[in-house]
Amino acid sequence: MTTLPTSTSGSLWRQRRGLILAYLLVAPPLLLMVLLIFVPAIQSIARTLTTDTTGEAGLSFSRYIAFFQDPISVSNLVFTFQVVFVTLLVIFIVCFPLAIYLRFAQGRIAGAVQILVLFPLFVPGIILCYALIRFLGTRGTLETVLSIFGFMDYSTPYLKPSAIIIGLVWESIPFTVLVLTAGLRQISDSLIESARDVGANDLTIFRRIILPLITRPVLIAFSLNFLGIFGAYTVPYLLGPAAPQMMGVFMQQTFGQYRRPDEAETQAVITFLICSVVGLLYVRTVASQRIQQEDAE
Amino acid sequence: MAKLDIVQLTKRFGSVTAVSEASFTVQDSEFMCILGPSGCGKSTLLRMIAGFESATGGDMQIDGESITELPANKRPTAMVFQKYTLWPHMTVYDNIAFGLGLRHLPRATIEKKVHDSLDLVSLSGYEKRFPAQLSGGQQQRVALARAIVLEPKILLLDEPFSSLDAILRVRLREELKRIQRRLKITAIFVTHDQEEALSLADRIAVMNSGRIEQLDHPSTIYANPETLFVADFIGAMNLLKANAQGSSLRVGSKTLPLPDGSIVNGETTIALRPEDLVLVSDTYTGAGEIWKANVDQIMDLGHYRKVLVDVPDVGELKIFIAKSAHINEGDTISLVPARYLVYGQHGSPIEVNRLARPDSQAVQ
Ligand SMILES: Nc1ncnc2c1ncn2[C@@H]1O[C@H](COP(=O)(O)OP(=O)(O)OP(=O)(O)O)[C@@H](O)[C@H]1O
Ligand SMILES: [Mg+2]
Repeated sequence: MTTLPTSTSGSLWRQRRGLILAYLLVAPPLLLMVLLIFVPAIQSIARTLTTDTTGEAGLSFSRYIAFFQDPISVSNLVFTFQVVFVTLLVIFIVCFPLAIYLRFAQGRIAGAVQILVLFPLFVPGIILCYALIRFLGTRGTLETVLSIFGFMDYSTPYLKPSAIIIGLVWESIPFTVLVLTAGLRQISDSLIESARDVGANDLTIFRRIILPLITRPVLIAFSLNFLGIFGAYTVPYLLGPAAPQMMGVFMQQTFGQYRRPDEAETQAVITFLICSVVGLLYVRTVASQRIQQEDAE
Repeated sequence: MAKLDIVQLTKRFGSVTAVSEASFTVQDSEFMCILGPSGCGKSTLLRMIAGFESATGGDMQIDGESITELPANKRPTAMVFQKYTLWPHMTVYDNIAFGLGLRHLPRATIEKKVHDSLDLVSLSGYEKRFPAQLSGGQQQRVALARAIVLEPKILLLDEPFSSLDAILRVRLREELKRIQRRLKITAIFVTHDQEEALSLADRIAVMNSGRIEQLDHPSTIYANPETLFVADFIGAMNLLKANAQGSSLRVGSKTLPLPDGSIVNGETTIALRPEDLVLVSDTYTGAGEIWKANVDQIMDLGHYRKVLVDVPDVGELKIFIAKSAHINEGDTISLVPARYLVYGQHGSPIEVNRLARPDSQAVQ
């Protein structure tokens, strides 16, 4: 430890004791994480690199090469990316206006909207899926209602990619709106009123004042939603098509139905690496916020 | 730069009337203060002028043209808020240039204007700083620069210095006054600090629960408060319950004269400034009524002393006494009410002068 010129040995000891206590407090969860996540992850990564497709030992990329040469695997990976990006786009298109409304509106209707927005939080994913099947499926509620109004050529999104997107968007709304609204509440009224005062219209205020001030909440919502959607299982399994599949369903099928654990492991490592890039973005965003807050104090 | 007319302006929030039929005119280049206790509607009035709050009724005109229906971003007003006023993601330069940019001015013009305005608030060289790198006082100065760089017809300020410490507050107040004089800008300044209002304003509008109780020059408001509220709110004041009968007032067991022809009768209140209770020698035989008083407490306030005295049958009064007067706690002294105002149930107060002031000979 470096010596602090101003502190006496007593306060040094106090400092050190505080540090030891802090380490003791974080030790158990850290240990669990290392044992249950990092070690198996590293083992898996190592295994995918040190055995080839035939099970022969030795440093080899053959399992990855096989993955990227298999058209089904590649199409599933591409499909997962497509679903993730379309879903994220729809989430932000839906959630931005909602969050802005909740930040600036007052009164009873805003309160009701707030509760409605949070509602999906209280519905388990599997119940949501069956509800959506009932609602969107062939001869479901939507089709019945549309036919009353004379609209006859309804084609259900059930078992199509759009059903996955609808389900995932629904699931992500509460969290995204919460994060965005919290970010928007950090922007005080006087910042927005000052902008209006010097002549800015609503669009300019949104682009030049609000957006730059909520980049962090947006990045957090983006990265956490990305992670959740990329690894989604229940919704794509119950609502999506048989092919192509999202990575979560694909892994489960490779492992459980086709009983090819090696291939599943390779798929898992690829998924893990992609997600860890986004995870890193999240960690950096949160860390930079920490630093800024400490600066401000 | 412009004249502002406020006509019967009213704002109601549901059942709460925040501003009630305010009518006044702010003259070209005038510095007007709106003064009143918390919650009396000062900010609401100012925010209606800025366009952040819609008026429930009435009209506002700048140089004769109504602005009541204009949205905030189209009004020729600029506002300085109490705090959190600068956009934290923009530098000082960008903060000030933002409004100019929206007006599509040439870059060189913007640059010159920003530099000039920073110069005006003595912050040249701070262009590249971010708001978080400035002190509270510097931030408010930038906010001021941001407002005046647009050359608004009316400058609005809502307690802009109230979150700063006392010394800085006084300094910025002086600076603001200097800038306002130099640019001849029409300004409305909201405050609940009467010292701030008295030292800054050409005229003060005193507000109380949504109404403007008096609008006048600071010295007039101090000398002749038109309502009991203003009398109590501005400056130190002794208020005494009294009973008017014909041409005399009964205050406890004492009597004070009322001028001939005064129509007040019954319950009244007498307002006596501490400095209008004149300390006289025990052998004084001049004009006025002599009240004997016991000295309860003496507070030294630098160049003068504030003394709490008890006048038997009248009550506790505060008086101001020169440092040179030899009195101690426990003494009995003689006081003469030199000037007072009498507030009846209705109408304007009656002013009574018992001694020609200054009456320094009378003082020991
Ligand atoms: N948006 C609003 N909704 C409902 N009532 C409001 C609103 N804004 C102000 N009021 C009410 O209007 C009255 C006047 O408020 P205002 O903010 O103008 O007071 P103020 O004189 O500026 O007080 P302060 O010195 O505390 O800033 C208060 O009773 C307040 O509760
Ligand atoms: Mg206010």
